[in-house]
Amino acid sequence: MESLDLSAPAEKAIQLLRGLNLDFYDVVAVYSKTIRINIFGRSIKEAISKVNVGLGVRVFKNKGLGVAYSQSLDERDIEETVKKAAKYARVAQPDPYFKGLPGPVKAQEVSGLCDKEIINLTLEDASKIPRDMVDACESVRRGGMYYGEFSANYSKFCLLVSTGIDIESEKTVASAYIQPVYRNGDDVGSSYEFDYSVCLSNIDPYWIGRKAAEKAIEQFGSRKIKSGVLPLILLPEASSTLFRNMLSALSGERAVKGRTFASNLLGKQIAPENLKIIDDGTIPGAVASSTYDGEGVPKRLVKVIENGTVLTFLHNSYSAGIMNIESTGHAIRNGYRGNIDAGPSNIRVKPGDCTLDEIIKETKKGILVANASFTPNIVSGEISTTIDEGFLIENGEKVFPVKNLMIGGHILEFLKNIDLISKEGRVFGGGHFFPAIRVREAKISGE
Amino acid sequence: MVEDLLRFIIERGLAFGASFCEARYFEEKVNSINVENGVAKALSSGILRGIGIRVIFDGCWGFASTNILSVESAEKTLRDAISGARSIAAHKNEGAQIADVKPSVDKVFHKVGINPEDVDPEIKIKRILDLERAAREFSNRVKDTLINYRDIITKVVVHNSLGTLVEEVTPRTMISCRVIAKENDLMQAGYESIGNVAGYELIEGINVEDFSIKAARRAVSLLSAKAPPRGKFSVVVDPKVGGLFIHEAIGHNSEGDLVYSGQSIIADKLRQKIASEIVTIIDDPTIQGYGKFTYDHEGVRARPHVIIKDGVLVGFLHSLESAAKLGGIPEGSARAQSHHHPPIVRMSNIYLAPGDMTLEEILEDISYGLYLSGSEYGYVEPEKGQFTCKIEEAWLIEKGELTEHLRDVAISGLILEILKNITAVGRDLRLEMPGMCSKSGQNIYVDGGAPHFRIDGIVVGGRR
Repeated sequence: MESLDLSAPAEKAIQLLRGLNLDFYDVVAVYSKTIRINIFGRSIKEAISKVNVGLGVRVFKNKGLGVAYSQSLDERDIEETVKKAAKYARVAQPDPYFKGLPGPVKAQEVSGLCDKEIINLTLEDASKIPRDMVDACESVRRGGMYYGEFSANYSKFCLLVSTGIDIESEKTVASAYIQPVYRNGDDVGSSYEFDYSVCLSNIDPYWIGRKAAEKAIEQFGSRKIKSGVLPLILLPEASSTLFRNMLSALSGERAVKGRTFASNLLGKQIAPENLKIIDDGTIPGAVASSTYDGEGVPKRLVKVIENGTVLTFLHNSYSAGIMNIESTGHAIRNGYRGNIDAGPSNIRVKPGDCTLDEIIKETKKGILVANASFTPNIVSGEISTTIDEGFLIENGEKVFPVKNLMIGGHILEFLKNIDLISKEGRVFGGGHFFPAIRVREAKISGE
Repeated sequence: MVEDLLRFIIERGLAFGASFCEARYFEEKVNSINVENGVAKALSSGILRGIGIRVIFDGCWGFASTNILSVESAEKTLRDAISGARSIAAHKNEGAQIADVKPSVDKVFHKVGINPEDVDPEIKIKRILDLERAAREFSNRVKDTLINYRDIITKVVVHNSLGTLVEEVTPRTMISCRVIAKENDLMQAGYESIGNVAGYELIEGINVEDFSIKAARRAVSLLSAKAPPRGKFSVVVDPKVGGLFIHEAIGHNSEGDLVYSGQSIIADKLRQKIASEIVTIIDDPTIQGYGKFTYDHEGVRARPHVIIKDGVLVGFLHSLESAAKLGGIPEGSARAQSHHHPPIVRMSNIYLAPGDMTLEEILEDISYGLYLSGSEYGYVEPEKGQFTCKIEEAWLIEKGELTEHLRDVAISGLILEILKNITAVGRDLRLEMPGMCSKSGQNIYVDGGAPHFRIDGIVVGGRR
């Protein structure tokens, strides 16, 4: 994958901005190259290759913000983009919460975020990976229909800020996903498996394919069950959605400005003593790691929940400014477009002291949730969701897969009712760690 | 100049040996304004543009895109597309096919009352602040307001080796309002959005009662709403919930690419009765709505598509490829988010055709059920036929009357069961669900709607 010089166009934009009598500004230039092979039907469908470049400018004048971006690094387009951002900043009204942009702080470089094998990957080599995933599925059961993809991305990012921040970074990500669908008449067995990593060598297409096919076959013969109040065992794929959403609600402007159910939880115990969650953006070789965040603030390890108690919000400079504290390095920048958000990087939930098998064995009757999105109403915290893949547990054993079943409750009830945490779990993207958990009771809607 | 570049790509693609070659120019200009609690704190402007090239080479699809608009970059991108196709030709693969269609040559400019680019940002800000103030001053329990305005002008030029050369310019305007109301520790949100293929006249024509005040009223009233009962109930859905339901429960499953790839539960049900006979479902890109267009992104002229007629599955939505593989006729259902994405089969404006009942008649013989109003979002697992819709608010129905106000309601169902459980359809069709639909990593403009209708025996999730 070829590269492109980003510092020259970013510097050009900064030079133009310097002469415009502005308060603060930053310029980001991005180059990204992606190759993707799609699986569709019985095998591979198409190969895709895309190059994306762009430049974004944020300008602050009298605390008003103007943003402009363009998918072009041409000189004329840079001039237009700068002019538009500056014009809009002068039209925007003062945001009383804006305190300024962060200044430069030297950080220790996070290693292992760029894989040469991905940079040098050819379409020919890439196309073998989805083929291997399909073959692995077929080795478990023949005759499936498939949907999935393999993609490899190399991106380069350059950030210049009027406060003196000058950063360039590179990253690679490979990801693979397959969803097999098997049919016995109207009975459907389907599931999916995925993995993603900074390094190509960490992606095992055979493991992904076999696992997806095994999970799909387990879904045959799914049944409806009656409404009730039952314990839930969330596998890491499901528990991850609960914890991600919790940390997202503790992030940035929405948390600080009282717009989420988590806005008033600082210092409060919301879960049992044994729940500990850290967020660490500095793990070498992890997809969600980087040396600096989207505003150029060094990433760090932050204890978010300890002894079940919320210790901090995850801040960018704007939300930190409202609380008159330093940013925690959680600014998220969406490429070269638009505004800065805040959110978690690598979420690591402390493992418990029992195995998943022990948790299942200890459950007389309950639901094993393999896949469901525990996404709350971000304002109220209420959750009402479908169990996309799950099993009824009776007398400590998986009995059959369930369908057309919903879970209702409040995210804080689910967290408060965590009574078991597994010692094993799943690492996602080389950084996140989520164990399985048991929620003592939840409201189930079915027949 | 763009047309010359596209012609160059097609000529080179055919000269290289492609059996089909398509070059698509995409340009999108977006202006947005955010108003938060009486302050227009951020204005944004962006331009996306580039070229996506798709080829069939050695019987395989290759696609490549760039946003560097030079002859050199175009040729390199074409070579990337061809290399992609060649790289997968070595493996067992889904052979590429396209339906035989007559080429189209046309230029379409959707006219609007007021071009948003002609309106000063200060004038837009003043209007948006007025709309926002109405929400903020609605009640002292309103604690937070946010309005997002955006105008978007999209230009797509499609040229292919069949001889098609169409250009379409589509202006869209969209505004949304989110209000948070608080009482003690309780918080609730209300949301409203208005969007269409339209210009700034859409914003000038807004009645605050139907927009920001409506969002504020909902946020405040939800503070005293209760959790819904759990289990299976008869429900009556309003046009917004109905539009979301139709989109999730049947729309995605009728997309031709999901059908031929074995991902749709209705793939083998063509010409079979899959819904009650009062159900007729149509996807129509030609009617006024956020999902309106004249040509799809393969350059095929759009027509209305009847998916279900009187309960019988009569057709799928098609791209050139799905039509070829399923023996259908392409009628303009292939769209792409941008030049960086190949066209895939998408819905446009999907709706349930009206029946002849009034809302009162639909409600009157329900002794206990729920009335569902306002759609948040939904999703479907098409291969299983299981869908979920999140609802903004609901009311209990007791003896045909709306009684207790409810919040945090969601419904889930199995398509092949639930379409047969539609037992009453109203006459009051409204298309008012402008938004973005996400599929295969691509977001696209869509709309949806329905008259009020009744579904029996659907699972309602809740805390009670």
